[in-house]
Amino acid sequence: MNGEIFNANPTVYASKRSTRKSKFEAGQSLWIDEQYQPEFSSESEVEPIDEDEIFDLIRSIADPEHPNSLEELRVVSAEQIKMGDNHIMVEFTPTVPHCGMSTLIGLSIRVRLMRSLPQRFKVDIRVKPGSHQSELAVNKQLNDKERVAAALENSALVETLEKCLSLLDDTTAGSKC
Amino acid sequence: MATAERLVRSWMASEKDSEVDESVAGISSGQLTLLEIIRALGEFLTSEEDRLRTKGVEFLSSVLGRCPHERLNRQAIRVLTTFYCSKLEDLETIIPALNGLSYLVKFPNIQSAEVKDVLNAIFANVKMRALVQSTRFFVFSIVDSLIASHRDTLKEMGSTFLAGYVNLAVGEKDPRNLMLAFAIARVVLVEFDTHARIEDFFDITFCYFPITFRPPPDDPYGISADDLKQSLRLCLSATPAFGLLGIPVFLEKLTAGSPSTKRDTLHAMDVCLPVYGSTVSREFGKKIWSSLKLEIFQPTDPDTEHSALNTLQVLVRTMHTDKSQDAVSEDSITGLARDMCSECMQALKEPEKAPARAAMKVVCAFARADEISMTQNEVSNRASVVMLLTELIEACWGDATNASISQSSHSTLSPLTASKDALLGLLIVSLKAPATCLPALHGLTALVRTPELVADDELGYIVLEVSELLRKEPDEVEDVTTDTLALLSAIAGIAPHHLSSQTLPILISFLPDVTPSRDATTQRAFYWRALSSLSALCVQPQLFETLVVRLIAKLDLLCAISPTRTIDQESTTAYAHAILTALANTLDVKVSSKDVDVPKYAEQLLPHMFKLYLDAALASSEVVAIAADPRLLQVGARIIRLVSQTLNVARQEKLVAAVFAAYTQGDVKLITGGLLNSTTLFAPLHASATFTFPSYIPRQRNSFTLFSSAIVSLRKEVRMPVDNLSTFLSELVAWSDNPSSTAFQREAAVPHVSDFLTFQLEGYSSSALKNTSIPAEARKNAINTWISVTRALLVRSHPSANAFIDHLFELLDDSTVDWDAARAIGLLASEDVVLTKRNNAVFKILHVQKYFNAVMPRLLEGVKGSRKETAYLVALAYLINVVPKAVYVTQMPSLMPILLRGLDLDDPSIRSHIINTLSNNIEITSADKDAVSMYASTLVLAMLKNCMYSEMPDPGVRAAALKYLALLPGTVRYDLLHPYKTRVLKELAKVLDDPKRAVRKEAVIARYGMITFSDELVSFYVS
Repeated sequence: MNGEIFNANPTVYASKRSTRKSKFEAGQSLWIDEQYQPEFSSESEVEPIDEDEIFDLIRSIADPEHPNSLEELRVVSAEQIKMGDNHIMVEFTPTVPHCGMSTLIGLSIRVRLMRSLPQRFKVDIRVKPGSHQSELAVNKQLNDKERVAAALENSALVETLEKCLSLLDDTTAGSKC
Repeated sequence: MATAERLVRSWMASEKDSEVDESVAGISSGQLTLLEIIRALGEFLTSEEDRLRTKGVEFLSSVLGRCPHERLNRQAIRVLTTFYCSKLEDLETIIPALNGLSYLVKFPNIQSAEVKDVLNAIFANVKMRALVQSTRFFVFSIVDSLIASHRDTLKEMGSTFLAGYVNLAVGEKDPRNLMLAFAIARVVLVEFDTHARIEDFFDITFCYFPITFRPPPDDPYGISADDLKQSLRLCLSATPAFGLLGIPVFLEKLTAGSPSTKRDTLHAMDVCLPVYGSTVSREFGKKIWSSLKLEIFQPTDPDTEHSALNTLQVLVRTMHTDKSQDAVSEDSITGLARDMCSECMQALKEPEKAPARAAMKVVCAFARADEISMTQNEVSNRASVVMLLTELIEACWGDATNASISQSSHSTLSPLTASKDALLGLLIVSLKAPATCLPALHGLTALVRTPELVADDELGYIVLEVSELLRKEPDEVEDVTTDTLALLSAIAGIAPHHLSSQTLPILISFLPDVTPSRDATTQRAFYWRALSSLSALCVQPQLFETLVVRLIAKLDLLCAISPTRTIDQESTTAYAHAILTALANTLDVKVSSKDVDVPKYAEQLLPHMFKLYLDAALASSEVVAIAADPRLLQVGARIIRLVSQTLNVARQEKLVAAVFAAYTQGDVKLITGGLLNSTTLFAPLHASATFTFPSYIPRQRNSFTLFSSAIVSLRKEVRMPVDNLSTFLSELVAWSDNPSSTAFQREAAVPHVSDFLTFQLEGYSSSALKNTSIPAEARKNAINTWISVTRALLVRSHPSANAFIDHLFELLDDSTVDWDAARAIGLLASEDVVLTKRNNAVFKILHVQKYFNAVMPRLLEGVKGSRKETAYLVALAYLINVVPKAVYVTQMPSLMPILLRGLDLDDPSIRSHIINTLSNNIEITSADKDAVSMYASTLVLAMLKNCMYSEMPDPGVRAAALKYLALLPGTVRYDLLHPYKTRVLKELAKVLDDPKRAVRKEAVIARYGMITFSDELVSFYVS
């Protein structure tokens, strides 16, 4: 934002299409192909919101510094999401310990989940322990309702946030075809 | 005594060399001593007269210069040193004294104390600028000799020496002296601790750079410019401490200098950069690169360009050699290298332009540099290096295949060929480490794809190593299977024998002979992984042949008819299904790419397939016959269809004859190639058989799908081996109408029927379609048959099609089947899986449009006035959904209200059809502004209603409605939607909790679109 780049050359990893396993891979079905199965297999079957779905929501968020998604930079990963009963715990790993963008990244994750999840969920967002020099401050800031609300009053900040979040359309379109 | 005196006096008078020689001879033979000469000189040395003093010292120095070294003991040297040092203070004697000293310091007996004295005296008394070249030369040779023999003493003197020497050397201009000065400076810089005085030394060396000396015509000194350059270069590259100071000088000279200066600078950089080290190189990397780039991309002359490339190589190599750097700096190195690469790639994208060739050269320079640095690198940064390497191999490859610049492709291939072994080795080693595996695979792929590069046995080696990867359990995070397969497929195109001997056995060993038990999930995953790998690899003809043989053997084992129910039937069927699917997938790829070897499988594969299935079909229903499973039959039919599509007329006739023999006459010998001899009667078409042989007839009837799959792709030239086609067809129709037929069997029969023209069906329509007395279910089946037949007529625009359609319209008035008839009218325009080009169907162009134009007015009329408007609405919804939107776009304004009315219909498929239609047209309709805008509020509310789980149980409709909502913000003006925004967001928040994942996904997108759809536009409209 002030022109300073905290990590000028991050390692970029390949992004995977989907972490979700098919029914065959998950051992639920003996049959390999789902091509005969309609898209909506049965009307009564409930598909609960799971870790993979949360990951699908946040993987495409753009990094504030680079033209890469958080998944490509391994800031977020499927393993770092834990789900309990109406409770979601998202952990993320800044690329460098002095990354000043951590709060912004955390905030964009929070906003994405806030917009995309039913209200019954409580979301906790944390920096991966030991991966940031001011871990506690960042965690506190991200999980304080008032502070998040205050941050979202700041129109400049919201504008930056929207830029991070705007990747959504491309990737969802991409993962479908 | 007397001799000495005589010699001295005569010399003072004559200055002849002979006197000096005589003295030296005297000293050598022992007749004279140096001391005696000095005594004889005594009066001259101390004379008041300047001239005499000078001559005295001169004589002594001359004698000393020729005097044998062993003749002087330490004492004498001590005395002489003190004497000369004192003479340095005397302006008149300084020249001969320095001369004498230059000889004296060469004597082995001189001690460190004397050395210090000599130097101190020189530093104190000699003013270089006042002396002529030859005298200065003495000074330099004194220092030079001392450095050669008394280095430790000089080191002890430390900064006194350094400061003194810098004082002496500064401002020197004569090439002869400079040669010495450079040599001294190099030794000092390399061996002495010059840390504190580095700037002084920088001044006395870099001021000469670049050397512009040109020897005078007769070359009196025998010193060339190259000699000077050489020794200066040695100085410049003597210490890493010059790095920070020196590189800016180089860069400056590079931008400003003449071609020869540039070359000189580049050569100097070649030598210096490795000495200055990676830290400095990294710091200046970008600047150096941008200067070099200029030289390479806009070269002044070939030599300079070549030198610049050389320097670039040195730079890259230098940056990569340092092992002790942390991860962050590592990134910046590869970052720069990557920048360079990507710039070159950019240039390479336009191969016709001049920069491309230059970039090519840069990349080749990289190749050589990288290859060396690779071996020294730590594992942590290998991945990125391998990645770069891959990029450049790819670049070379892309360039080499580009025939338009053939000259450069010659030069580009050569570096790769030269370093091929090293590259191969490195890439293979990199395969072993998880971090570098993926880039290594890409690198190998690029190598293999480079034409004429990798030899056959090397390919074998690659295959051997890469196949090992397939053996491993797939890693969750770093899944390399796809890339491994891509590499192997690339090799399969060149050298299939390696794969068939090394890779296939590994993969086939993953396929168990016995089905894994139901809970063995991993084993199941393994066999499917192996099968998908096989089907990806075995597209190549030779490999496919092996695959077919091996898989048929597996199938025979699995599907053996067993009288007892010992095996898990369901999982065995699933396993067999997986194998067949793999086979069918491969065939599908081969057929799509028009491989010429497919037809031969009519003999090699089809008999086995028929044997498998017919054997099962003939088995009695008491025994377990895996292959009788309808799901397996379906895949089998797919395989048969694929093969049959590729056959020519003669072979198709042969195949048709065989299947007809089996299905109409019960003779299974021909179709199974003699593999099956059964005593049981095979009569699937025998209508009455149902009751006579109830035990196995269902299986036989099921197998009819194979028959139909062989027939559907017949070419129009192929003659059917039946006497009367119409009789046969009406029999078939009767057969399919049989109430005992299952849906599956009917599905098999119907497409077949539709393939041929028939007039017999007129009668059929009156008996089945309009006969209200028969059950609704049967009539619906009849309608389905009707659709197929009519569609067959339609696609070739047959005149009687209209009559068929009229029958359907009449049915719209019949309340029991109106809905189905309406659906039928719509579906007639849709595409069909059977009537395709691949199945050799004959099409008339624009048949859909013709149909649409014929039917549409009738439907519109019906919707408006008739009492059966719902049925018309349904037909309309189906029809619009399947035809291309260009067909109806002009009628959209009049269609809009009708479609909105259709949204109130209960049927979910109608609703989703309508919503899809609306979505497809949203851009068109918004183009004439009003269409959507006018209905905006209605549309929003309708969609909201349709996306709620509580209101609409069908998830397809919910997803479609959400998709439509997501499209709205992009097309409708904000002020129209503004009143609904809050409500939509609130409602969508509820939809986020939908039980279906796909619906939630659409909800997220729709909600995001609504949230961001806002204020800027409002302010735009307000202002």
